[in-house]
Amino acid sequence: MFIALAVLPLLLGLGYAMAYSLGLVGLLSEGFTLAHWEEVLGSAFFWRTMAFSAWVSVVTTVLAVGVALGFVAAWPRVFLRGSLSLFIYFPLAIPAIVMAFIVFQMLSAGGLVSRLAYQLGLISGLEQFPGLVNDYWGIGIIAAHFLMAAPFFIIFFANLYENEQVEEFVQLARTLGAGARQAALRVAAPLLLRRAFPTIVLYGLFVMGAYEAPLLLGRQSNQMVSVLAIQKLQRFNLGDIPQAYVACIAYSAIVLSLAVWLLGRNGEERLKYQGSGGRGKKV
Amino acid sequence: MAKRLLKYAFIALLLVPFGFLLMLSLGRGWAYPEVFPRQWTLENWHFVWGAQAGLGRSTLLSLAISLGIAAPVTLAGFWVSKHIAYSRRRRFWLVLAYLPYVLAPAVLAACLQAFFFRAELSGKVWGVVLAQLFITFPYGVIFFSGFWNEQMRAMEQLAATLGGRPRQAYARVLIPVGRGALMTCFFQIFLISWFEYGLTMLIGVGKVQTLTLKVFQYVGEANIFFAALTGCLLVLPPLVLLWLNKRYVFARAGAR
Repeated sequence: MFIALAVLPLLLGLGYAMAYSLGLVGLLSEGFTLAHWEEVLGSAFFWRTMAFSAWVSVVTTVLAVGVALGFVAAWPRVFLRGSLSLFIYFPLAIPAIVMAFIVFQMLSAGGLVSRLAYQLGLISGLEQFPGLVNDYWGIGIIAAHFLMAAPFFIIFFANLYENEQVEEFVQLARTLGAGARQAALRVAAPLLLRRAFPTIVLYGLFVMGAYEAPLLLGRQSNQMVSVLAIQKLQRFNLGDIPQAYVACIAYSAIVLSLAVWLLGRNGEERLKYQGSGGRGKKV
Repeated sequence: MAKRLLKYAFIALLLVPFGFLLMLSLGRGWAYPEVFPRQWTLENWHFVWGAQAGLGRSTLLSLAISLGIAAPVTLAGFWVSKHIAYSRRRRFWLVLAYLPYVLAPAVLAACLQAFFFRAELSGKVWGVVLAQLFITFPYGVIFFSGFWNEQMRAMEQLAATLGGRPRQAYARVLIPVGRGALMTCFFQIFLISWFEYGLTMLIGVGKVQTLTLKVFQYVGEANIFFAALTGCLLVLPPLVLLWLNKRYVFARAGAR
């Protein structure tokens, strides 16, 4: 059952994409060729797309992890008990497509933030509002993913803080003369980061392949890789399809290499803590 | 006092997206530079039950797909993960289970689209269900991989020593012990399916109109009020599940 539902679809999908990209199958196939690979890998646009995907992923992950770590190191118990322990889960109930819609309606030139700025006399018209969505730097995409990622990491770190008995290490550091800030920065934060590293990497890779938010909040000249591949696949030009598959395979190869490089052999051992049987049960 | 105020401010911040969605779903005419809609009405919500917008149908379809996937995948994940967890190649199988997420579900769907066309499953509900199984089932396996530890193995062996058959061990020992984890897994798989857009759009070719597709359709039509209304319909079940999870599953786990 595992092979049929998890392994076979992957092998079939990647195998078909590879065969199509090499001209071995498909409506316009004329036999083995590397032309599509040369075209895609030789185009600056593809590498710009990869770089933009990596940029969005890294900025989102660093911001979300930094903010979450700051909150949890400063107020570890607040997110485990009381009303915040419930409300912090609320943003996780918002699907990516809805979050993208909310961010668009808030940060676009005609959005809520622009209207508030107008009412406060900060701008005199919507044309003065800076472009925060469909922009060059992907601010809108990063904002949407940050709003989903930060609560996730707050919950994750708060549970790790409790389950890994970080409090005891912090108390020990305080007893040995460390200040509250020193204990948070030098003891709690490194411990949490070390334990959460595989999850942070996987989340970063997940953001890199995101589709919904970039579709709504991105721009044509600066696309993320999922959007590029699927747009090429859905165009009426049949010549674009092998290129879409090249993009899929190349992206998969890059992401897999990154995962292997960053997670290495110890990744799975540490990932156990996310599982239901690990002590991080509530995550 | 200041800490409490900060806490309430943080909660208010977390509730802003929900208030904003609700405001737009109840609004009509939101001309610049007004902060609030010109007119407040429940009329948009009446469309949920009207046949014209098809929102009621999309809600039921999304519910049917997500519930139809969550229940069997939870049970299958529970059963299969046990065999994987106790196998010698555990690490290898688990790495394979992570791949659909690492490679992005939308990219996986793009690679598989041709097979669904050939099998005439493209644009069909069953096709979308099958495609969603490819990402939810590995998640179920990953979820339970940590559940099967030495303690579980010892409990199962004890049941066998006392004369219980494997089926009895599941029914009387493993499933009752894992009830909390089973519930949580069910909720999470429901949410993965409920939130799914890219894969559903590609395999369903826009014909399987789940709620996530409706949001995008209304955004494309520049109908922000219906998009917000559909957004409200999408966030409501996860909030209910969240409350149930907190109220019953975590509370019970805490009591133990």
